[in-house]
Amino acid sequence: MTIMIRLLAVALTGAFLATVAQPAAEAAGDRRGGGGGAGAGARAGGGGGAKAKPQVSNTNRDARSGNVRSTSVSNVNNNVNVNKNVNVNVDADRRGCCGWDNDYHPVATAAAVTATVAVTSAVIGSIVNAPPPGCVPVNYGGIIYQQCGGTWYAPQGPQFVVVSPPY
Amino acid sequence: MNRNRHTARLGALLLGALVATTGWAQQPATAAPAAAAVNPVAPEAIQALKDMGTYLQTLQRFSVTTRVTGERVLADGQKLQHSAKATMDVARPNRLRARITTARAERELTFNGKVATLYTPAQKYYSSVEVDDTVTGLVRRLHQRYGIEVPLADLFLWGTAAAPLEGFESAMNAGQDFVDDDLCDHYAFRQGSLDWQVWIKAGSQPLPRRLVITNRADEARPQSVSLIQWNLKPTFKDAIFTLVPSPGAQRVELVPLKTR
Repeated sequence: MTIMIRLLAVALTGAFLATVAQPAAEAAGDRRGGGGGAGAGARAGGGGGAKAKPQVSNTNRDARSGNVRSTSVSNVNNNVNVNKNVNVNVDADRRGCCGWDNDYHPVATAAAVTATVAVTSAVIGSIVNAPPPGCVPVNYGGIIYQQCGGTWYAPQGPQFVVVSPPY
Repeated sequence: MNRNRHTARLGALLLGALVATTGWAQQPATAAPAAAAVNPVAPEAIQALKDMGTYLQTLQRFSVTTRVTGERVLADGQKLQHSAKATMDVARPNRLRARITTARAERELTFNGKVATLYTPAQKYYSSVEVDDTVTGLVRRLHQRYGIEVPLADLFLWGTAAAPLEGFESAMNAGQDFVDDDLCDHYAFRQGSLDWQVWIKAGSQPLPRRLVITNRADEARPQSVSLIQWNLKPTFKDAIFTLVPSPGAQRVELVPLKTR
């Protein structure tokens, strides 16, 4: 019940911000140097045509889609080995967060726990176009966060979402 | 009236089916001990894994592209699918470049045997760490110390001690299948909370062409499917393994995993 309410709060926050947020600034376009597939890349050495890829926007994304409880696994051996230590290392699930293919920070899961507590800092789950000035980028688990005092932002497409501290 | 007779007949039919099922269900009860005597780990399947690993370790220079679809499970068990692509250029023993593209992020990993650099081109952020190791060592180190997964990490672990060939609860040959135009042998394994399947190219080049992993730790059983394409005659130059940050790129600290 309480979870429902909290979730709703997060969803509302998300929706509110979505209406306020400007469509993503035409950030940088596609910077990808070098061509497409393995064969092409290796053979042509970056002769790919400079076709601009449209920028992804998550402005209209439903907050529930970030409420992730688990993900699939994209490699065998690392995870099998991790499972062996599962009793020793309770943190095993968070290791590397999501595999190489899934850079979602489990935002709303954290929000359900923290949202009611976080009054002084930015609300977890809220989305901004840019973090405030003076933030320090930190690479943790392959995700580059912006640490702004006690508030952490994770990248979300061209935007940023407030998350619970990753460590 | 007609309908009644029909219903009655249907009922009898159902009853018959029920009896039949019960009968069937009872039979295996006596047959079960015989089935249990069969080794659930088929040695042939383990051998295929071993052969593939040995072959992979002989490849000195190659490019490999993978497209993966994975699943995230939401709090209520609903699943969302996502996809990503990675291209890797490898020169054993200790050089690697991986370029990763998802809808949300683009990342690059370069490793020249001494320094590993992670780069996000969109923000021009890079992180470098000194790693004096092989590609396999790098994959292990990034995973254990930094929580960073290299795409298709298994490619670098199969055929080494990091991918032990024991500890399977089940291993079987699931027949043959095509992946693109390659005839492949299909194997299925069960290890801990993972079920996984691999399609290995039949013949003298036992390359993995497709890898499916099912995570049984969650009742929704999220699954990933990776298609793997190989170029065993790549033409890349060794210069690609050292990242030269573009002007204005900012160095970012790479924080090792904290244990709570």
